[in-house]
Amino acid sequence: MSEILFYLGAVMITIGGICDLFGALGLLKFPNFYIRLHAATVGTIGGAVVPLFGVGFLALGADFLPHKYAIAGASFVTGIIVLLAAPAGSHALAYAAHKTKIVKWEPKCDHLEVEE
Amino acid sequence: MKRLVPLIILLITIFGLAYYITPKLPQQTELRPLGEFYLKNSYFGDYSAKSPEVVTSILWDYRGLDTLFETSVFFIAIIGSLTLFRLNKKQEEEAKQKAEEFRIGLTLIIKSVTRVIVVMILAVSASIALHGHLTPGGGFQGGSALAVAPLLIIAAYSKYALEEHGLDKTRALIFRSIGLLGIALVALVPLLSGGFLMQNQPIFPAKLGGQLVSGSLIYYNFFEFLAVGAGFTAVFLLLAIPEKVFKKFLRREANE
Repeated sequence: MSEILFYLGAVMITIGGICDLFGALGLLKFPNFYIRLHAATVGTIGGAVVPLFGVGFLALGADFLPHKYAIAGASFVTGIIVLLAAPAGSHALAYAAHKTKIVKWEPKCDHLEVEE
Repeated sequence: MKRLVPLIILLITIFGLAYYITPKLPQQTELRPLGEFYLKNSYFGDYSAKSPEVVTSILWDYRGLDTLFETSVFFIAIIGSLTLFRLNKKQEEEAKQKAEEFRIGLTLIIKSVTRVIVVMILAVSASIALHGHLTPGGGFQGGSALAVAPLLIIAAYSKYALEEHGLDKTRALIFRSIGLLGIALVALVPLLSGGFLMQNQPIFPAKLGGQLVSGSLIYYNFFEFLAVGAGFTAVFLLLAIPEKVFKKFLRREANE
């Protein structure tokens, strides 16, 4: 059981590294603000939340580690906070950018415009 | 191709360090004299702080006066910023009047997420500060984390939401003063029972009700937590006053 948790955690940390790389590439290469925001969120959810949960699982699975429950609990709580905060933050950025109209864009369909 | 060369050199260096040099480093098997000294003055010994977290026990125990002066530098900085933004009573009341553009705030998603996260931040910051003698962290770090909560509320709602619920600049300053007073009193307590300033161990109990509290460390951490959190909150509240309002005050003073 503990070995499964250990390897699950290790895989999740690796996924986190890959997501961070893709997020950084997207932030450099994507054409405009809103799509770059998507890349940034890939970096925070895939690159911070997933590896944080991974660290938690890895700590639970590592029998040689002292205070493993403290480490696991801290990383799970931090992961949940980032999981809640990151989408809200990118939503706030997109909302503010749309509201102040400082970002140029040519949308195919604009749901926010219809509501107003 | 030319751009790849630095990347390849960097990768070779990292992997070389990781695979060839690190295993060859000699393994430390016995305690160095410095480490022994730290252990004696933090966890073992009659006059140590009885705290497994060495950094905190050094900072608040036998390097206590250092930390006291560092704390006072931080509070002088806070007082400096309060002086820069000084307002008289009438202007302060006027700065609390909600401006029209702050009526709506951000969207429902942001507001509800903020509500959940603020509670979590309060819990996490209290745990950082009150476990300061057990795990990395301490009063200053916990207080800085605590100050994120009002900052988030200012960003998602407005500073007027904080003030309507009773946390205005004056209250924050009162909390800050309580924290400072607490630190000073805890530092002076050993003098009453014949110790020296900021002495910890034989005077304060190391354990309260079976829980390790490391003598005076937990009191220092708690009061520092209160003082730093409230000090930052006061500055954030002042910084959140819209520029327009400040300019109005300045123009009025120039006319008089």
